[in-house]
Amino acid sequence: MNSPGLPFGRAFNRRDFVRHLGAGFGGVALRQLLAAETVRIDPVAAGHRPHHQPRAKRVIQLFMNGGASQMDLFDHKPELFRRAGQSFDPGAGVRIEAPTSEPGKVLKPPVPLRQHGQSGRWVSDLLPNIAQCVDDMAFLMAMQSKTNVHGPGSYLMNTGSLLPGFPAFGAWVSYALGSESDNLPAFVVLPDTKGLPYNQRGNFSAGFLPVSHQGTLIQAGHASPMADLNPPSSARFVTPDANQEGLALVQKWNRQHLESHDRDARLDGRIHAYELAARMQLSAPEVFALDGETEATRRLYGLDRKETQDFGRRCLMARRLVERGVRFVQVWSGAGGPTGNWDNHANMAKELPPMCAATDLPIAGLLRDLKARGLLDDTLILWNTEFGRMPFAQSSEGRDHNGGTFVGWMAGAGVRPGVAYGQSDEWSWKATHDITTTYDFHATALQLLGLNHERLNVLHLGANRRLTDVHGEVIRAVLA
Amino acid sequence: MRFLWITLIWTGMALWAVEPHWAYAPLRTPRVPEVGEVGGEVTHAVDAFIRAQWVRHSLQPAAEADRPTLLRRIYFDLIGLPPSPEDYQRFLADSSPQAYEREVDRLLSSPRYGERWARHWMDAVHFAETHGHDQDRIREQAWPYRDYLIEAFNADRPYGRFIQEQVAGDVLYPDRPEATVALGMVAAGPWDESSLRDIREDTLDRQLGRYVDRDDMIGTVMSVFNSTTVQCARCHDHKFDPIPQADHYALQAVFSGVERAHRFFDRDPAIHVQRQQWMHQKRQLERGDPELLESSQTRTEVRQWSMRRQLRPVVWTPWLADSFLSAGGATLQHQPDGSFRVSGTRPERDVYTLTQTASKGSVRAIQLELLPDDSLPHRGPGRNPDNGNLHLSEVELWVSSAGVAEPRKVRWARATSDFDQDGWTVAHAIDGQEKTAWGIHPQEGQAHRAVFELAEPLAAHPGDRWSLVLRQSHGGSHLIGRFRVSITDASGEASRVIPAQIASIVDRTPESWTQDQSRIVSAFFLRERLRQQLAGLPEPSRVYAAASDFEPDGSLKPSLNPRPIHRLNRGDITQPREEVGPGALTCIAGLPGRFSVPEGSEEGARRAALAQWLAHRDNPLTWRSIVNRIWLHHFGHGLVATPNDFGRMGSAPSHPELLDWLAVWFRDDARGSFKALHRLLLTSATYRQRSQASGHSGPSNEKRDRTVQLDPENRWFSRMNRTRLDAECVRDAMLLINGRLDLRMGGPGDRQFDLKPGIHVTPQVDYTRFDSDAPEGRRRSVYRFLFRTLPDPWMEALDCPAGDQLLPARNNSVTLQQALALWNNAFSLRQAEHWAASLQALGGDGGESWKGVGWWAWGRPLTDTEQQEWAQYAQKHGLANACRLIFNSNEFLFVP
Repeated sequence: MNSPGLPFGRAFNRRDFVRHLGAGFGGVALRQLLAAETVRIDPVAAGHRPHHQPRAKRVIQLFMNGGASQMDLFDHKPELFRRAGQSFDPGAGVRIEAPTSEPGKVLKPPVPLRQHGQSGRWVSDLLPNIAQCVDDMAFLMAMQSKTNVHGPGSYLMNTGSLLPGFPAFGAWVSYALGSESDNLPAFVVLPDTKGLPYNQRGNFSAGFLPVSHQGTLIQAGHASPMADLNPPSSARFVTPDANQEGLALVQKWNRQHLESHDRDARLDGRIHAYELAARMQLSAPEVFALDGETEATRRLYGLDRKETQDFGRRCLMARRLVERGVRFVQVWSGAGGPTGNWDNHANMAKELPPMCAATDLPIAGLLRDLKARGLLDDTLILWNTEFGRMPFAQSSEGRDHNGGTFVGWMAGAGVRPGVAYGQSDEWSWKATHDITTTYDFHATALQLLGLNHERLNVLHLGANRRLTDVHGEVIRAVLA
Repeated sequence: MRFLWITLIWTGMALWAVEPHWAYAPLRTPRVPEVGEVGGEVTHAVDAFIRAQWVRHSLQPAAEADRPTLLRRIYFDLIGLPPSPEDYQRFLADSSPQAYEREVDRLLSSPRYGERWARHWMDAVHFAETHGHDQDRIREQAWPYRDYLIEAFNADRPYGRFIQEQVAGDVLYPDRPEATVALGMVAAGPWDESSLRDIREDTLDRQLGRYVDRDDMIGTVMSVFNSTTVQCARCHDHKFDPIPQADHYALQAVFSGVERAHRFFDRDPAIHVQRQQWMHQKRQLERGDPELLESSQTRTEVRQWSMRRQLRPVVWTPWLADSFLSAGGATLQHQPDGSFRVSGTRPERDVYTLTQTASKGSVRAIQLELLPDDSLPHRGPGRNPDNGNLHLSEVELWVSSAGVAEPRKVRWARATSDFDQDGWTVAHAIDGQEKTAWGIHPQEGQAHRAVFELAEPLAAHPGDRWSLVLRQSHGGSHLIGRFRVSITDASGEASRVIPAQIASIVDRTPESWTQDQSRIVSAFFLRERLRQQLAGLPEPSRVYAAASDFEPDGSLKPSLNPRPIHRLNRGDITQPREEVGPGALTCIAGLPGRFSVPEGSEEGARRAALAQWLAHRDNPLTWRSIVNRIWLHHFGHGLVATPNDFGRMGSAPSHPELLDWLAVWFRDDARGSFKALHRLLLTSATYRQRSQASGHSGPSNEKRDRTVQLDPENRWFSRMNRTRLDAECVRDAMLLINGRLDLRMGGPGDRQFDLKPGIHVTPQVDYTRFDSDAPEGRRRSVYRFLFRTLPDPWMEALDCPAGDQLLPARNNSVTLQQALALWNNAFSLRQAEHWAASLQALGGDGGESWKGVGWWAWGRPLTDTEQQEWAQYAQKHGLANACRLIFNSNEFLFVP
């Protein structure tokens, strides 16, 4: 549909508008729409076209908040069983550094790991359903972080910087590729019902990119999952008629105003934003309503079980969102704070199993469901955490933070199934071979989305800023 | 062809080498161009420079904006609020040629001006009131810095001084409390509490955290004052600008003695000076500064003190208890030496009460001696079976007089002891809290002594009964096993307990002291006196700021000396190289790149040197940077399009001569007065143009199209830039139009959210549960409490920053979230209701009384058609819905 009353230039249709929301309406408005300090220099982003043929069109990232324990879940180390209870001794003169505690004795996983599938990947008995999917996954067995602290660690995994103020991974993808949907934002975040992760909304920030690229929060299970979609119940005076006729009148005034104030794309942009808002008001509730899903699907995600209901609901919603064109959905397991997440300082045997139980079935369900619907072919699934944990005990039963090595996995679009890349030492203390830095990880994921991480950049405060800073190598070994 | 290229490259490189980049070149005073060809005679210097470019680029300027538009523009620009219908009336009725200038001056002298411009500065320095990161703790006292900014703008603080106060105000203006508050700038940004307070001190993560934290400090200072991206030189020499890596670390060294913390200041300048002096002495003492410890004055005072002690030994009279009870059922036995031995039942907790009839004279202090005894575990003096320790929770002295029903509790002045268990000091025994106590571990098995001084002497009245109560509430039988109580009427100074080590020296004549002993005694004497002096001052105020002296918080402790800074190879914490001393940029001709701060001097000297370096008249970056910032806020974009980056990756100035002319004029003629600069810019014809190149009074359409074609980004300012209202302006305008804006200034931030404890440090913050009608919801937006990782979504939708990055200019975004927030958010809707109610009160019939609607929101009366449409809609759906439409109109949101 052409927008009415435009006296100049090219007319926008809705899809164009959604793509361009906040990201610039062509050269004239560029400077008005971006902060004066942030100048876009990559032409690809302007056109919302990938740099090369993409394998993945969209991403669902499952983020285990707190530092999921690699050696208890995927990085099998017989040495930990053999030397359990002994002093941790990596060799004379080697510095052992634990951020919050004194290094304790070697601690073995609370539950055994076993090999699964044709690929023979090791998986903890705590993850029986995920274990059945290992032949679809590519494991990054030796990921490494620059820090052992949650705040900077979460920023690093989410924004590529130790400091706040940088755009999230999802914001970059939104910026580069826009949304496929007329009615939904490009980057959506589904936080744990118990609360936001470390760094709160800082992890989904648009940083110096336009605010439209920030992660839109959807609170699954809330009466109003998305903020301001409808007037609050306190504003009773807003009847549906008042709403509809009012919008028509204000839009009429805005068009008249536009005609006498030509060449300002922002004025036109606001008219379109209100049209879009009205459409979203109607279409969004359908996305959030899970009752249309079959009983079988609901069971697949564990919606019928107390322990999996919450995470399962959000995994299912993630599928519904990507089906409807959202580019990047982030599903969080665990809120910030010392407990109820993957930050298991006190007792692995008590704290880890409930986290696994809450996520294992829903994650496997999501993979199976996407596969059955053919969506896994062009949807990239990422399972991540900000760092790993120590091979030795903290206060006898728990584990402290460890940026030295940790595990993440990928599945779906363009991922080589059934491979494992990288290796840690005999303790799973430090990554030793084929290390994947956080930058390498981001570079690889962008590569699958058709984006060259070195070319996706903006000039901000005197530097060309990228998700991968000045680092990053695409890990070819995990690409199909 | 190839030859030509090579020649060009060589020529280019040669020029590069000879000619410094424009930003680092010294300021020149360019001649004001003579232009008369376009738009008549030019008398305003700004216009002359601007018009010279119009002539060069064959541009037709826009016509002057109409008077209502001008008024709305200067109101939002200077005070961030719209004019009222009456303001328009007054201005339109004033036909004098000075009417416009008068309005500008009136707005500049309004206190609202400081509120508007402080907010620009808060953006620039990324101010917020929580730490950010994973432990997003509230900084209870960050707001005084916001108030400082408002006051500084309103008082038109000269820019040079404004700079110096914010970098080293405590050192350079020690007699001005507000200059200490100004240090809030250096601490305005985020802080990683986990890395800098909670994890272990001996980790690389801690060291890395410190470098990263200082990186933010120097990034803030150098971006804001010098438009220089020195943070880009952390890992290697700057790729584009002449900033070697060493400069970055020299700047780190400037701030290596400060942390971000709550520091003391006093609003009363006299007390402020006094406290700072004493705190400074305390630091000197902690540093073991010989200047203080070995001064002849100190030596004399110490001698006098020790003589007084020897001349007047204290006489302690035994407490003659005629009744002694254990509430827990233990047995208290009077011993021949006047002490009590406790035996029998050993309860978890106990209270001993010793009562005597008032003796004669008066009491100024009570002494409690704890005595070892073979009958006690580990010889006591406590009854704890594991080690013989004890915990004295509270000591109380009660007086009951004949004929008075209620006994009276006596106030203590202080308590001293010969030994305190770590964290269990004797002060805990008189702090009124039963949870805290005095303990003596690990020095069990020995005698100890504590003296409790009374706030006022207690006179013995005949018939009075005195009860001494020893509460021991800790549990675990941490009880006193053997003790003696005595009283004295000697003054505090005499009776006070001094540590055994000191006592052994002071008991001998000063002539026999070694130099070491003399220092030890001096240190003790001064520390005690400073403690008393500081305790005598009124409760201080606090501000979250750069601080070298503050109360320790966990493992976050002040560093007595600046921490040594090493250049980190590739920015890697595991590759420290040579140590770097304090300094700044080495590329500014005529200014030293390194500071000659004497070895061993305090950290403040480093900051003072940087402050003076920044504010120096020969620092060209400083003066170019600030005039560009002010220009940007009035004209929509800067003469340099990248206000925080004047380096080679930034933009070149569109009008280099004008930039230099303004910089020199601001520095010399205006003497750094912001108000003078505003006046200069706002009175230019350039500023007063229409924002459209079209219109009846403007040039023909053909010319207008050509102008837009030639200058699509309006680089040459051939028309005004239309700006979208800032989030604060939208919110404040809504409240003002309703008649509900509360103009109370200053004080703690308004928390416009529901606050609950979080799972860990970060609280839970719910903006939807805040009642916007509450008093905290009605002040100007600059007073909102600013949460870094949990910003107000309504404000964020309108591009209000969250304090996570230095922001010289707001985005002007147009987004779906913004439309939804303005259309549906409870705050927007409630304001529509309030406006409707106030219109209703004016008559509510759609007649004359509603004329103000258009003036308030759009700066013009509604047309007949608009009025008709609006009234019809209002009639059908009510006024509140009708007001909602106005708040969502483009004309309300944009200033033409």
